[in-house]
Order: sequence, then structure tokens, then C-alpha cells
Amino acid sequence: MKIKDIFVHGKQTVNTAMSILLKSARIIDPSSGFHLQRVNVLLNDEGIIEKIDLKEMSADRVIQSADLHVSVGWFDMRADFCDPGYEHKEDLVSGAEAAAAGGFTGVALLPNTCPCIQSKNEISYLQKNNSRQLVQIYPYGAITRDCKGEDLTEMLDMHHAGAVAFTDGKKPVWNTDILVKTLQYLQKFEGLLINKPEDKYLTAFGVMNESYNSTILGMKGMPKLAEEIMIARDLKLLEYAGGKIHFTNISSAESVRLIRRARKQGLNVTCDVAAYNLHFDDSRLLKYDTNYKVDPPLREEKDLRALDRGIREDVIDAITSSHIPQDEECKKLEFDLADYGMLGLQTLFPIIVARCSNDEEGLAKYIEKITHGPRNILGLTVPQIQVGARADLTLFDPSTTWTYSHELHKSKSHNSPLLGKSLKGKVIGVIREKYANINV
Amino acid sequence: MARLSVQHLLGIQNLTLDDIELIFETADNFKEVINRPIKKVPSLRDITIANVFFENSTRTRLSFELAEKRLSADVVNFSSSSSSVKKGETLLDTVNNILAMKVDMIVMRHSSPGAPHFLANHISANIVNAGDGTHEHPTQALLDAFSIREKYKSFRGLKVAIIGDILHSRVALSNIFALKKLGAEVMVCGPNTLLPKYIGSLGVKVGLDVQKALEWCDVANVLRIQLERQQIKYFPSLREYSLYYGITKAMLDKLNKPITIMHPGPINRGVELSSDAADSEHSIILEQVENGVAIRMAILYLLALKKE
Repeated sequence: MKIKDIFVHGKQTVNTAMSILLKSARIIDPSSGFHLQRVNVLLNDEGIIEKIDLKEMSADRVIQSADLHVSVGWFDMRADFCDPGYEHKEDLVSGAEAAAAGGFTGVALLPNTCPCIQSKNEISYLQKNNSRQLVQIYPYGAITRDCKGEDLTEMLDMHHAGAVAFTDGKKPVWNTDILVKTLQYLQKFEGLLINKPEDKYLTAFGVMNESYNSTILGMKGMPKLAEEIMIARDLKLLEYAGGKIHFTNISSAESVRLIRRARKQGLNVTCDVAAYNLHFDDSRLLKYDTNYKVDPPLREEKDLRALDRGIREDVIDAITSSHIPQDEECKKLEFDLADYGMLGLQTLFPIIVARCSNDEEGLAKYIEKITHGPRNILGLTVPQIQVGARADLTLFDPSTTWTYSHELHKSKSHNSPLLGKSLKGKVIGVIREKYANINV
Repeated sequence: MARLSVQHLLGIQNLTLDDIELIFETADNFKEVINRPIKKVPSLRDITIANVFFENSTRTRLSFELAEKRLSADVVNFSSSSSSVKKGETLLDTVNNILAMKVDMIVMRHSSPGAPHFLANHISANIVNAGDGTHEHPTQALLDAFSIREKYKSFRGLKVAIIGDILHSRVALSNIFALKKLGAEVMVCGPNTLLPKYIGSLGVKVGLDVQKALEWCDVANVLRIQLERQQIKYFPSLREYSLYYGITKAMLDKLNKPITIMHPGPINRGVELSSDAADSEHSIILEQVENGVAIRMAILYLLALKKE
């Protein structure tokens, strides 16, 4: 097989079957002895790390970049591939291609499909391609039937079929009794409950963050209080029921404070933040651009600062793409009629770079939140960068600027405000065992 | 000839003070025109205007139509009580269909905040916002300010209270923007559940007691309770609202000072305003309606100039 046939951009299921040299790459992996060092990494044709050192080496294919970095393969713990049910927005193939292009080797998928992921059949469906593709899909099972928050699903059965955690995805578990029972039920296998904290009464008919900006835009706001009050509530329920809870997509400074305090009390709680909530504030909505209509809504500068601090101080365990594809019919509309969501897989890294310019330590911390952080939360094995280990790597260059063009765009949907923009921070490629995707 | 700084009238937020003053000066001329025996001028003879109303309206639509006809524009009307989206056609498709028939300007009322801004990003015709949900109603604010200007000449030091359902009111927001730009002091007053939480950040006073608001102000702009826009309950009953937030002639008489009562209409008589107060010598409600035509003529005329 010729090399040029193998490294076709986007064809992420291609078997490499050749040796690869990562030339002069800075390792970003706090658990590796080579952390922050610039070395050469040689992978053999079985996808196993053969050598890591400073010596000159040769291989069938050499990958280099001006400021090449390599870390453990990235993991996104919150994405929607819309499959089954909404394949016109995204499907398992296009979603995996977007993930690979964005630097991810593992993605956990939300259960809000049609039907919802609520039985072992749907769990198997999502994992059907795993053995022969680069990007590994990790399914979440719904907590309640159709994610309506009313009747419990067969979670034990889904756990045995491969569900890595349980959540109603984009919807909060609003019923306190259901939350307590789920926390209790999952303890049999130390299962994880993931809740999106939102009091639906306080956010009813809201379309953006409640603030000065919502006032001048004449739009109904969603107060941060709606998120905070549910976190406070759930922490009390966790104290009562035991088990463990993960809050997904926290967005306010007070949420960070509540979780920091709960951690100190010894509660088994983790949390993540969506990349867009770290990067954009609600002034982006001043032109009614529906690409910025997201849930949780974009907040304010002071929240962005608190979330950044939460990451650097390890209160926040993971950063997610919160990749929610929406087709044009759902977005090219009046703001209050448009659906929520923004694409995120291919733009997560440039957002990280924007938060950590010229800050190698900060960059390492942020990268940890898409490598070790999410895998630890879900109890998954974290790949290693060491001789003899099977490759599960992401190659990236924080100094290179690229254009997020329609040609490089992989998702079926186009709901990203960054599409067409010049972005700093480029994913060079991903390698998992014998599979590779190199962005050329 | 002075020109507006904008292509569209999307909201007061987008206007400069010079724009507002230009609109007032132009409206002065048109007010003189509409009080002539022959009320019509040929200014917009080659212009076709579509009044596209996705929400019910009597006064505003009639006022726009009269303004357009007195400027000799060709006028077509489209009304739909519900959003066209519910019928399966998008707003953009509806408007593009109308524009394909060679329409130059769109006057639109819509229930979604920002709907005219959305349209302005996708079409070339001039857009006049005739009310977008709970966001802005710029022509109403301009005619309100124009009416105040007629009576008081200057806005410096003038105190205006906006009383009622501020949360669901596009009139309130546009009035706040216009009056602040013109230099007036503004207070909003109503049940706390009907005041946006961050309204104070717009530089207005916030009051909960109507009698005190009346004592404070020179002009009280009384707003209607927008029951059709309230998706959930904000106060227990209309009876209690009228008892504690309604304005009566007796309250005005007790003030022992001149006060002007305004209302953008339609009045719910006996709810926010009693009949004797609405019809009292304090009221300039019908002057507002008359000025509405002159203001709208001025805006359409000035936007048409931008086309040249």
C-alpha cells in the first residue's frame, strides 16, 4: 500500500500498517516521565510505541510540525451524533470523522436520539463499529424512558451491554425522587449518574443568559440561579443517597464554588464545562446570531474567569466539546424559534489555545481535562505514553494557525460561528493502534 | 439634506441622537402636511411598501398604512395572526416571496425579539420594525418622545415614569432608550414580577409604588398588561392589579401639580387606567395617535432617501 493512499485526510478507519516517527514532539502527559520534554517517538507497524528518545530515527512515515506536541488521545465526554433518528444532522460516521479531525480518539454520546439510548439494543448499535474504527464510541444510557424524567430504564442491563454512565443527556433529572433512586440503584456497580443541572421552572421560555444583555435584547433570560439551585439540591440528595454524581456543563462562577465546597466535604462529585462556555460570553448574542444559542447559555466574563480558575485548580475535571449538530432549518430562524446547540469537536483545541496563549503549564492542564479527566470520571483506562504501550495519541501544534474551511469541516451540520475563521492551534492528527488520521 | 445613519429602523438602540432629531424635524413638516386640506404629498411615488404583520395590530398597522398612502407609496398588506413558521413556511421564505414581487420596504411586526435584525442580515430591502416581541417598538417610542417634545419643548431634567408591565413591553424598552438619549430621567414602576431583573442596569430608577411614581414624574406613560404575552402567571388577578397599580383621576387630582398621562394603546379601561383618567385634561393619548402618522411618514421618507 502506498503511503499517500494511507494518509488520506478524514479517512479515519484506514489501517496504517507501517512505522511512524513523531519527530521532535513535546510530550504533554503528566503521568509520563517525558512530560514537557521534546523527544522523538517511534511507532512500529503494529501501532505500538517502540522508542521514545532524543536519538535520530527513521520510519516509513515521518510526522513533523513547527511546534509538534503529543498527548494521550483526547476524549470527549459530551457529544451528540444524532444517530439513530436525526441522521440528517449527523451520524455515527460523520460524527466520528469530525471527532478524529478534532483530535479525539474516544467520544461518549448523549442518549437524546430517537429512539433514546435506553436499552441494550441501542447501546450495541452505537458500539457496532468500534472494533474496526479509530474513534471509539462510549454510549451513555438514559436514566428515564425517553429522557422524560419519569420511569426508570433498565440500567443494569445497559451497564452490562457497555453503557459507561447514565444521564438524561440534554435534559435535567428534575424529579428528586428519581434522582435519589438512580443514585441508589447505580451503587451496585459503582455506576455514575450524570446530571445537567437546570431548574426548568426558572428557565421556562428562556432563550439566553439573564443579564444586562438579555434586557436590552428583549429576550427572556435563564438565570444562573436555575443551574446553581439544582447543583445545591443534588448535592444534598447525594449526601443522603450516597453514590456518585457528575454535573455536566456547569456555566456559572457560583456553580464552581458549590462544587469546590462539596469536594472539600468529601462528596463524590465531579463536573465538566463546555468549551463554548469557557470562551464566549453573552455579548455574542447582540446580533441575534443563532449559532450562539446554546444550552447552558453563554454567560458573563466573570463566569468565564471563574471557570478558567476552576480548571486550573482542578475543581473542573473535564472540558467537553458539547458538539450538538443542528441543520440549517433549525438555525436559520428567528432567535427564539431556533434550536439550541453548537458544533464543537473540530474547534475545541483552538478554544483551549485561546485560553492558554504562551502558557505551556496552562496548556498541559487544559489538555489533561480532555485526556485523563474524562476517562477518570467514567472509570476508563487512561492510555499511556511509554515504550511497549499501544498507541492512543493526539498530535497537535498550538502555534500553527489554520482556516476552519468548509473543505476541512467534517460534520453534516454547519452550526458553528467559527466555520470559515482563521484559528490558532491545529490538530495534526490522531493515532490509535493501527488506525490513523492525519490532517494534511 | 441630512440623512439617517442607518438603512433600517430596527430599534432605538441603533439610532444616534442626530437621527432622532432629524426624524423629529421631518415629522414637524409632515404634521403640518397632514393638517392641510390635501393631506397627500408625492414623496414616495415610486416606492412599494409591504406591511407584514405576524401579530395582531389595529393602530400601528393603520397608522403605517396612512403614513404610506399620504406619501403616495404603493401599499400591500400581509397579516397572519400566527407565525408563518407554524404553517411550514419560514419567515425568510415568506418575506423573500413578497420581495420577489418588487417591494422596496418592509414594515414588520413579529412576536420574536430580533426578527427584523435577522431579516436585515438576509435581505436587501429597508426594514422598519413595527414591534418585535418583547424587544423594541421604535416608532412608538419616537412618537411618544415627539409628543412629549411638543408639550415640554426640552427633555433636560424632565422626569418620565413608565408604569405597568415592563417585562413584556417593547414600548418600555424603546422608550427607555429614546428618553435616555434625549436626556430625560426615567423611572419604571410596576409589580416586581413584571420588571426585568436587570432593568436598573439601563440607568433607570425602579419603583414599586404607583402613587410615589406619579408624585415623582412630569409624564406618566402607562402601559397595558400584555396578557397575550404572559406565558405564566405574574400576578394573582386583574382585580388586584387594577386596585394597586391602576391609575385613577382621583390619584392625579391628589398630586396638586401638572402631570401628563400617555398610553400607547389599546387601553384596558378600568385596569391600568380608569376612564376618567384616560379622558381627563392630563391625557395626550389621542395626540400620540395623531403624531404617530407624522413620525411614520418621517421615518419612511428618510429611509427612502437612503435608497437613492
